[in-house]
Amino acid sequence: MEKGEDTETGGGDEQGLDLRASGAEVLPDGRSGLRLKGWHIEARNRPILSSLALQQWEQKLGTTHMPEMIFGESSLVLQHIKSGIKLHFNAFDALKGWKEESLPPVEVPAAAKWKFRSKPFEQVILDYDYTFTTPYCGSEIVESDAIKEPSKVGTCLHWEDCDERIDLVALASKEPILFYNEVILYEDELSDNGVSLLTVKVRVMPTCWFLLLRFWLRVDGVLMRLRDTRMYCSFGDDHNARPVILREICWREATFNDLTARGFPSDCAAYSDPNLISQRLPVINQKTQRLKISW
Amino acid sequence: MSSDLDRQIEQLKKCEPLKESEVKALCLKAMEILVEESNVQRVDAPVTICGDIHGQFYDMKELFKVGGDCPKTNYLFLGDFVDRGFYSVETFLLLLALKVRYPDRITLIRGNHESRQITQVYGFYDECLRKYGSVNVWRYCTDIFDYLSLSALIENRIFSVHGGLSPTISTLDQIRTIDRKQEVPHEGAMCDLLWSDPEDIVDGWGISPRGAGYLFGGNVVTSFNHGNNIDYICRAHQLVMEGYKWMFNNQIVTVWSAPNYCYRCGNVAAILELDENLNKQFRVFEAAPQDSRGVPSRKPAPEYFL
Repeated sequence: MEKGEDTETGGGDEQGLDLRASGAEVLPDGRSGLRLKGWHIEARNRPILSSLALQQWEQKLGTTHMPEMIFGESSLVLQHIKSGIKLHFNAFDALKGWKEESLPPVEVPAAAKWKFRSKPFEQVILDYDYTFTTPYCGSEIVESDAIKEPSKVGTCLHWEDCDERIDLVALASKEPILFYNEVILYEDELSDNGVSLLTVKVRVMPTCWFLLLRFWLRVDGVLMRLRDTRMYCSFGDDHNARPVILREICWREATFNDLTARGFPSDCAAYSDPNLISQRLPVINQKTQRLKISW
Repeated sequence: MSSDLDRQIEQLKKCEPLKESEVKALCLKAMEILVEESNVQRVDAPVTICGDIHGQFYDMKELFKVGGDCPKTNYLFLGDFVDRGFYSVETFLLLLALKVRYPDRITLIRGNHESRQITQVYGFYDECLRKYGSVNVWRYCTDIFDYLSLSALIENRIFSVHGGLSPTISTLDQIRTIDRKQEVPHEGAMCDLLWSDPEDIVDGWGISPRGAGYLFGGNVVTSFNHGNNIDYICRAHQLVMEGYKWMFNNQIVTVWSAPNYCYRCGNVAAILELDENLNKQFRVFEAAPQDSRGVPSRKPAPEYFL
């Protein structure tokens, strides 16, 4: 088995029954994913990029700085077979987003002391966004793996703000999970000054799928940032009909100073799990959108 | 005494931690040895150089399989024994026990993770608390960290350090004068030696966009090596997918010895073997097989996340 590769064992008996009852088909050859209700859903977990691949990415992205762990071959793909709508999540597109947004650097606490250090001859201060913060919400294209239909050329997908909401009640019901996976897209330890992590996790139930793409940043002693994209699709009765896909984008952010001012602990060790602290971080951007297809 | 120690080494090799009282006694003995070492500890060839381990105990056992057992093989470890992996306690104690048992056959120098502050954030503190129910073992170990040497010099020709160079250091004698018996400071020469990184896109010195942390270019390495009459620098500190990486026309090499880092990166690891004539051989190795390392399977348990 290749290192870092998934093995899909098919789960326990109970899961096997659930899979059969809902008409799901597990992907063959040890691939991680399934086919269900007109969808093909697949996760790939692969090793980090080699030094050579990293150089090629640097060239393509026009940068000399990259996260130290890029799971460049890893991805999550959800494809609606009939319409050809393909939602996918990958590190490359996310880093394109980072490069475009290009936030100013965040200074760490030690920087205050460093300003008083005597400067060596010939010194440059690098100024890229080392936190690898990205506005990435996923990628989408229309791609039919059946015969290319000329009518689909020029099809374009876009997200439109809407008043609908992701059905949290449906998601709170403990339907059996037919498929679950978490894919890390990139990660950086900020040279031991915190963590920057982009992951996507997915769960597929008999009536819907749901995923969470999360960018999580902690710059120790300075800042925490969460950028979540939740995506939801409820399976209709007609698997060939165009699916309704909703996404909710929610960005939260707080400085350590804000948190201590509000009486929360200030030590970084208290902030290792974003799930536990997300509610403490104020929302700075939130919207719900629906995927629109124009022909 | 040595039979007690031999028993402890055998126990640690099975990844079984020592009793708290044993840790205390071991650290006291280690302190007596380490306090005598220079900030630029002299090391004879042949020697095998190892980079970051990060508590990946079972992968370190793979390292010893590839490199040979201590004391048969003479080892130099470049720091970052703890944090991130699941077995920082057993990893560090085994290395420390070997140091006490065979002081001339293993050299341990300090990495930036051998620090009170860093270990409280990145795992070692929590692991000690979990395994011993108190922070005493963490205290004994972090007190020992203050005694670890800062660098090594192999046969006067290869300079070894965890991170890299410092703009305030141009000669090895300047390193020798540092008072190292302290927590790693936030700035200054000692901080730089443990934290800095080589960087392709600068010639001289660069400052990280974080506003702290030096980056050094090829010219800096050339003049340091020339000025100190050394062939090249061997350092660790940065993950390299292939286990080792040369930079600046073979004037500096990064060695990384934690395969499948954090149990998910899928990278290989390397150690650098130098024979008595300083001929180099990199030995590349992979992570211990899943079933032999007592780590939960990578396949995540389904979770009703919202």
